[in-house]
Amino acid sequence: MPNPIIMPKFGQMTEESAIVEWRKKEGERVAKGDVLFTVETDKSVMEAESFFDGVLLKIVVPPGVNVPVQSVVGWIGEPGEAIPETPPPPRPAAKPATATAVAGAAAAARAPVAETPTVIVPAAVTAQTPSAPARFRISPRARRLARECGIDPTKITGSGPGGRITERDVRAYLMAHDYDRLRITPAAKALAIREGIDVLSLRKDGERVTVADVERAIAEKPKPLSRMRQVIAQRLLQSKLTQPHFYVTVSVDMTELIAYRNGLKASGLPYTITDFISMAVVRTLQEFPTVNSSTDGKTVRWYSHVNLGLAVSIEGGLVVPVIHQAEMLTLREICDRSKQLAEKARAGKLTPDEMSGGTFTISNMGMLNVENFAAIINPGEGGILAVASTQKQPVVRDDQIVIRQMMKMTLSVDHRLVDGALAAQFLNSIKQKLEDLDLWKTMT
Amino acid sequence: MVTTSTSPASSKPSPVRLSDMRPRFEPYVIDCGEIPAFQFKGRLRDLLAARQITAAEAVAILEDMLIIREFEEMIVKLRSGAYTPLPDFNYRGPTHVSIGQEGCAVGACAPLTIRDKITSTHRGHGESLAKGTVAIRAMTEAQLRQRVPHSRATTREQLIEEALEEHLYRTICELFGKDDGYCRGRGGSMHIADFTVGHLGANAIVGGGTPIATGAAMALRYLREDAVVCCFAGDGAFSNGVALESLNWATQQQFTNHYAGDHRFGLPIIFLVINNHYGMTHRTDDEVTGIERIARRAAGFADNNMHAEVVNGMDVLAVRDAVQRAMRLCKAGQGPVFLDVDCYRYFGHSLSDPRVEYRTKEEEAAWRAVDPIETFKAQLREAGVLDEAGIAAIEERVRERNARAAKRAAAAADPAPQDVLKFMYTDTRCDTVPAEFAKVEILQPLTDLKRVNGQLTYKDAIREALYEEMARDRRVIFYGEDVADYGGAFKVTKGLLEAFGRERVFNTPISEACICGTAVGAAMVGLRPVVELMYFDFALMSSDQISNQAAKWHYMSGAQTEVPLVYRVSAGAGKGYGGQHSQTLEAMFCHIPGLYVVYPATPADAKGLLKSAIRDNNPVLFIESQGLYGMKGPVPEGDYLVPIGVANVLREGSDLTFVAWGPVVHDCLKAAEKLKADRGVSCEVIDLRSLVPLDLETVLRSVQKTGRCVVASQAVHIGSYTGEIASAIQEAVFDYLDAPVKRVGAKNGIAPQSHVLEAAFLPSIQDLVDAATAIL
Ligand SMILES: Cc1ncc(C[n+]2csc(CCOP(=O)(O)OP(=O)(O)O)c2C)c(N)n1
Ligand SMILES: [Mg+2]
Repeated sequence: MPNPIIMPKFGQMTEESAIVEWRKKEGERVAKGDVLFTVETDKSVMEAESFFDGVLLKIVVPPGVNVPVQSVVGWIGEPGEAIPETPPPPRPAAKPATATAVAGAAAAARAPVAETPTVIVPAAVTAQTPSAPARFRISPRARRLARECGIDPTKITGSGPGGRITERDVRAYLMAHDYDRLRITPAAKALAIREGIDVLSLRKDGERVTVADVERAIAEKPKPLSRMRQVIAQRLLQSKLTQPHFYVTVSVDMTELIAYRNGLKASGLPYTITDFISMAVVRTLQEFPTVNSSTDGKTVRWYSHVNLGLAVSIEGGLVVPVIHQAEMLTLREICDRSKQLAEKARAGKLTPDEMSGGTFTISNMGMLNVENFAAIINPGEGGILAVASTQKQPVVRDDQIVIRQMMKMTLSVDHRLVDGALAAQFLNSIKQKLEDLDLWKTMT
Repeated sequence: MVTTSTSPASSKPSPVRLSDMRPRFEPYVIDCGEIPAFQFKGRLRDLLAARQITAAEAVAILEDMLIIREFEEMIVKLRSGAYTPLPDFNYRGPTHVSIGQEGCAVGACAPLTIRDKITSTHRGHGESLAKGTVAIRAMTEAQLRQRVPHSRATTREQLIEEALEEHLYRTICELFGKDDGYCRGRGGSMHIADFTVGHLGANAIVGGGTPIATGAAMALRYLREDAVVCCFAGDGAFSNGVALESLNWATQQQFTNHYAGDHRFGLPIIFLVINNHYGMTHRTDDEVTGIERIARRAAGFADNNMHAEVVNGMDVLAVRDAVQRAMRLCKAGQGPVFLDVDCYRYFGHSLSDPRVEYRTKEEEAAWRAVDPIETFKAQLREAGVLDEAGIAAIEERVRERNARAAKRAAAAADPAPQDVLKFMYTDTRCDTVPAEFAKVEILQPLTDLKRVNGQLTYKDAIREALYEEMARDRRVIFYGEDVADYGGAFKVTKGLLEAFGRERVFNTPISEACICGTAVGAAMVGLRPVVELMYFDFALMSSDQISNQAAKWHYMSGAQTEVPLVYRVSAGAGKGYGGQHSQTLEAMFCHIPGLYVVYPATPADAKGLLKSAIRDNNPVLFIESQGLYGMKGPVPEGDYLVPIGVANVLREGSDLTFVAWGPVVHDCLKAAEKLKADRGVSCEVIDLRSLVPLDLETVLRSVQKTGRCVVASQAVHIGSYTGEIASAIQEAVFDYLDAPVKRVGAKNGIAPQSHVLEAAFLPSIQDLVDAATAIL
């Protein structure tokens, strides 16, 4: 009997996933460990490997279809083996529309009654159409006419039953918009129809609409955001809507740390400035548990570990790999782990677990020549530290103006958890650590 | 045409019979007579001496039994990979083997000639093989060469040998589903047939073949052929209604008494019960019937007990003797004959039946001890016909022949997958009547067809069509319940008896399954029967014969036979007859591939379609509407044909299409009129006329034009054929639809008696207008 291929559960919370691409074709031989398909989770594209040697006998779930994790997506076996009927993937358990928490015990006692099967009587066949959410109604014939004319049917008002747009509505609309008098080259019209551009929107006074006009319209046509950008958009909006931010900025004198780090580098040690910042942040978070926390507005959770997120910009977006339990790590370990995660991030190989569970994040734009910036807190975290570029600045030391390597850091925190004084203390504590060379000498 | 092919009105007495019986209540007892059992005591030695058999015949009998046993054992072995000539062959198919019953098959077939017919059962390998081997041995050289056209044989013996091997090859091919099988791989083990030797088909419906055999016997009788039908059926089959109906049908007195005029001739049919005592796993005697011997059934059907006998089926000579005598009776017009042949099936119902749940090993051993082959070998030795070596040589020959045939069959080509639907329908029609059937005697021409201004009623249009077709072709016969003297419940066929006599127009028992099933057998043997079901509802009584037999035999036989017949069924509705007399059931039969289904709505179409249906070589279900019988309309005189499968646009329009059939067509016309008058809407009305084959093109062309469609019939909504049409429309021309396709039918209920309720139940003109309005 062939072996089922199961949709992996890539993240703790993942309930559904969709296959992006099958890397093997039906009938192709597969070795244990070969990548069978890729899966798009809400954080990245993952590879699913085969547990079996054999032939990919059947692809049950095609790309692009969301199915519950752990459902059968295909079969591996030997040619000729019968493939068992694949039960349709179970729908993810329906969430009750209204809370049932009230009188839980009573509800449980009544539960069996609710399972009594409904008797379907043939009369159901003629029953009224089940009510469905209102949708744009247009008859196939009207749709076809609109398509042939290259116009956007959603602008037409329907006069048919239930407001359905019928052929006569399309014709009335065409008449009302002087469609007959629209001048457009055949190639332009064909292109507009193919690309779904409303030809009426291209109308130019007296002039003939050309392919160039259509191409301009195509370029401006809204296109769907990538899945990653949609996730980013949704998360950032969620953060801004639910976590009231405020910001505190300090300047850190990095002159000595940079010199020290350059010395280390010259002797072959891998530390980057970011590693020192990470370490400083980790230490400080341990001193200020209020910042290493999160709230839902009613309760607060203080995290016992510091799971430090590091924002990494990648092609087309941004990911935040997380160094879990960073407080247990040495500077060297933080250094190695950061490098490893950054590489995986750029290769698109982060696992969902490597991208979740953060308690505080650092976003470092030091390489990007910015004086200062403020970051948006990752949802569920207490704060984020935005690190700007280090620049030589005239500063006053012992009443002298001297040139120092200055770096601005801006802390964004959730005001529900942290107030101004605490934020100032927290940020200055980081600053102090970065300026305290003796501290680093004990660690390197 | 009518006038040219008739002989002048003869001076024969009218065939109409007026019953004139009197009450008679004097006491008396019914004497059921005696049924002899196991009377045959003949030994081969004595039969040879009395020249009742030749040595060659005796040897052939042994060989034929061995052929069957070898064949059946091959199946048993194939199932476990133990058939050495084909070690790896994966046989998938039924395994109803008949080992133990070879004496019945060979004993019964031995006296039959190639002109005699048989029908057989799901356990029919034995009869199928024996009917062929016996026929082959008796063939002329020309006939043999036809069976093995590429043979280079020079002697008759060689030719026979090659023909026997070819027979095995084609039988095994059929078993294996190969293109060289007798039925081109469409029938298989349970539907094997070889019409060239009179084998009209095995049947996987228990009892399903009995009315076919009976109808074949009717045809032989009608055509005055010197031949008989041997209808093989199991003991289990005679608990089934259709088998008992067949006995009742075959023994009708009208075939032999004064109703038969000068052709008093009983049906030439032998009902041969292969009584192995089991129907699948239950005991037929002792358990599920009230009689010990099936032979007793015969006493219930004919005063002569159908010459019933109980025969020892383990003695091939006893079976041969019984069938020989039965044939003599049949050929003398004394049929039918009922033979209860006692035998035993050594294996289970199929190879998945281990037998241990229902019978003892001792029982099996006792029957094996009287094995028909071993006992016959002993007789051959005793009579000095064959010695041990001679028998061994035959066994060897049989084994090797079977192996050669099996190997060839296993390697033979499968049917081409793209031909999966080949043979579904025949595309032939009877355009010219063979001279021997074109000469028709008309006793009394129909004179009461009242054509006024070229108009006839729907009912008379049907009557005219039938009359013309019967006058054109002597093979067209017509029967049904009360259709003869009375002219049918609706008087549609009044006058046909008077015109053509009782041989061609007769009343039948109230036996719908046999009405429909005998037509299949008669059609297979060369007639073109038209039969009537008084109400469409009653078609359910004969649904097996319509759906599994008439519809399927052209395909299942690999186009060996055509089944040219017409089922005239009369649909009620609107008359307050209630749930069992008012149904419009076309959808059920449109769902059965192999049938044509037509439903005329006008007098002209009724005539034209019926004539086409009678000339078509496919089985046609011809639906008539009782509500329309009285409707008048122009009907062309003479040879007016309406092609099957062509819809009729009755009214042209541009805004909406009504597609309908049957009486609703006229409601659609009225609805169209109303929509025009009230709303200025222009409706097209299409009368489908033929439901299968369906003229979808005409429908689609119209819907492409109008963009809106209402499909209507009188059938209840659920599962109605209107759904099929609506779905075909949206599949094909979705982009042309300006609104969903609407369906109108009767409510999803049972036709009520109450006039008020029935009016609410049936579709109305207003329903049609409403449906149209909803999508305008
Ligand atoms: C109408 C119908 N009912 C049931 C069956 C299933 N079935 C196949 S063979 C069989 C037993 C038939 O017994 P019998 O007629 O004595 O024939 P036998 O098997 O003994 O040769 C049954 C019940 C069937 N094929 N057709
Ligand atoms: Mg039986």
